[in-house]
Amino acid sequence: MERSRGGLGRFAFVGPTLVLLIAFNLFPLLYNVVLSFTNAELVGDGWKWIGGRNYERVFTDARFGAAVRRTAWFVFCAVGLELGIGFATALALQAFTRVRAVLVTALLIPMMLSPAVMGLFWNLILNGNHGITNQTLDALSLPQPQWLTDREWKLFSVILIDVWMWTPFLMLISMAGLAAIPKTLYEAAEVDRASRWTVFRRVTLPLVAPYLGLAVLLRFTDALKQFDLVMATQGPNDTSTQTLSTLLYQVTFRDGKVGLGSAYACVILVLVIALATVFTRYLETIQRRTA
Amino acid sequence: MSLLSSVALAAALALPHAEAAPQKGGSLTIWWFQWAPADGLQELGKEFEKETGIAVKVQQIPLASYQDKVFLEFGASKTQFDILIGDSQWIGRGASKGLYVDLTDWLKTVTNLETIHPRAARYLCEYPEGSGKWFAAPAETDAVGIAYRKDWFEDAAEKAAFQKKFGRELTVPKTWDEFKQVAQFFQRPDQKRFGCAMPTSRAYDGLTMGFQNVLWSFGGAWRDEKSFKVKGFLDTPATAQAVEFFRELIALGPKGSGNLDYGEVLEAFSNGSTAILVNYFAFFPGIQAKFGDKVGFAVLPAGKAGRVAALGGQGMSISTRVPKEQQELAKKFIAWFLQKKVQEQWITKPAGFTANTEILRSEEFRKKAPYNGPFVDSIETMRDFWNVPVFNELLAVTQRYLGMAVDGEMPVMEALSKLAEEKEQILREAGLLE
Repeated sequence: MERSRGGLGRFAFVGPTLVLLIAFNLFPLLYNVVLSFTNAELVGDGWKWIGGRNYERVFTDARFGAAVRRTAWFVFCAVGLELGIGFATALALQAFTRVRAVLVTALLIPMMLSPAVMGLFWNLILNGNHGITNQTLDALSLPQPQWLTDREWKLFSVILIDVWMWTPFLMLISMAGLAAIPKTLYEAAEVDRASRWTVFRRVTLPLVAPYLGLAVLLRFTDALKQFDLVMATQGPNDTSTQTLSTLLYQVTFRDGKVGLGSAYACVILVLVIALATVFTRYLETIQRRTA
Repeated sequence: MSLLSSVALAAALALPHAEAAPQKGGSLTIWWFQWAPADGLQELGKEFEKETGIAVKVQQIPLASYQDKVFLEFGASKTQFDILIGDSQWIGRGASKGLYVDLTDWLKTVTNLETIHPRAARYLCEYPEGSGKWFAAPAETDAVGIAYRKDWFEDAAEKAAFQKKFGRELTVPKTWDEFKQVAQFFQRPDQKRFGCAMPTSRAYDGLTMGFQNVLWSFGGAWRDEKSFKVKGFLDTPATAQAVEFFRELIALGPKGSGNLDYGEVLEAFSNGSTAILVNYFAFFPGIQAKFGDKVGFAVLPAGKAGRVAALGGQGMSISTRVPKEQQELAKKFIAWFLQKKVQEQWITKPAGFTANTEILRSEEFRKKAPYNGPFVDSIETMRDFWNVPVFNELLAVTQRYLGMAVDGEMPVMEALSKLAEEKEQILREAGLLE
């Protein structure tokens, strides 16, 4: 009796969360898997089982391969640049002890704005004709790329906006990592007359690496889902910028093919989980090495 | 609590209740995208309310998300709208998926169908095209035309320079070759002056809608009209020639002219930098208001297969996912709207273009505005893109391969062959092609 009351008591604490998780995470996930084996449409009467035809279609669709490559390139460039610039900015900010707080607050602003709003703002900033970027380049007699319309520049522009928006996040995590390094280690290195490069390579970088790894993991999984900036600047069907998420949107909501869209969603989910698992393992290795 | 704040609170609590209270004669909700004609329709709705006691609310949804919102609504058991003013291409989906009420038997009891322009009936209202099965009534009838800088065309120095360069008078282009010459003549990027601007956007349908005016007039086609066969009809030398020509025209526009949506095309002309605009007539009243007699309007130029204008506009359909009583109210509004006296009011609203043949044929309508004459002449040549239930998939592949051909990413004939192949695959899967 005691045990059962304890069990009930414990369920009272975890139960509501469990119910919510089942209702909003597990059920939609399982339902999505079920739908992926049907010909369900957004509007219409009912659906029927079609076996693995949707998956066959996903893997033979040229758009899917192209979207995977494009998304991978986007993640690599955007997260790479954000890491490099964010960490460099965090290091540089260490020199500004008095105005650091003001600078950090100012630098964090892009991260706090909505990506959809950012996309619309950057549509104006990068407009080929009357955007401030090309007006400035024109005034300086420099070439004016068509940022949002030339297929060579479109994806670069989305990367640029993402970097502008999320570099402060990497900077913030880097600053937290830098602040956690004990001062005594730097003092000891100074006593040993270690060069600044040696201190950076042997002290700073290894100790801040777990923080950077975590930040990259978070950004990596987020960037894999890139949707809002592409939608706001190019729409879901542009061949130069279509990412996995916007392809999924195009298939499910524009074409109305819910069954096929669900198959895309399942494949993308497996892809993201696999990549995130590899990355997490790598992160754990770094942490063990640092410890 | 002070008296003032008590009153304010009471008023605040009472207001939503007052708004939500049912109207005496009932109320109707119409969905349309956000643009000037929707304001005009709302004004007409007030007239309708005065006459019948039925309140009309026209809800305007931003164009970019309109289609997505509409079909998500249809995914539910009840739609928020009673009447939907939907794009012409949606009619196949609406009719065959049981989303639009079949108006065939009812419509002829409330209006003379002969007074609805046959092209508007075919493309905006009937499904399948020309079948006589009506799923919509014409709301806003539209076509693509051109607006040009009359002051530039009439400038003596420009006329002399054009005469010297091309050996003929500078006039409004009657053929696509003349159009290209004029655009070349005004293309002066160093002076921030450009030849022409037309829809080429990749986000939704801009490139396809801009291109098809050239396609048809060059003798190309999207398909065989009867069998829906695409191979051998789309991947032809005539279509390839049209793509090449369209690519040359894009180069005669402002920066980024290879990817302009309807608003950006309008902006390129409205900012005073572009000589000729290719766009829907619905945008022309705004241009007229801004430029006055400095602009002129004309029909699209002709190619070797004649003159063809891409259809614009939308029909008015009743949702099957509202109660019968609401459907009856919706029918009352549509019957009222189609009356000649109401259509005469409708044409006074910004971009309120009608399909009523009695009005279209009248000299009075032609004289009313400088763009009305070209509109009437364009409506006679209107054609439309696919309007079958898989329209979206057909549009998406068209945008993709056409974009690659126009951008030089893929040889034109290869792009057209692949496009034809994928279109037939989509049509076969939808059961529209054997």
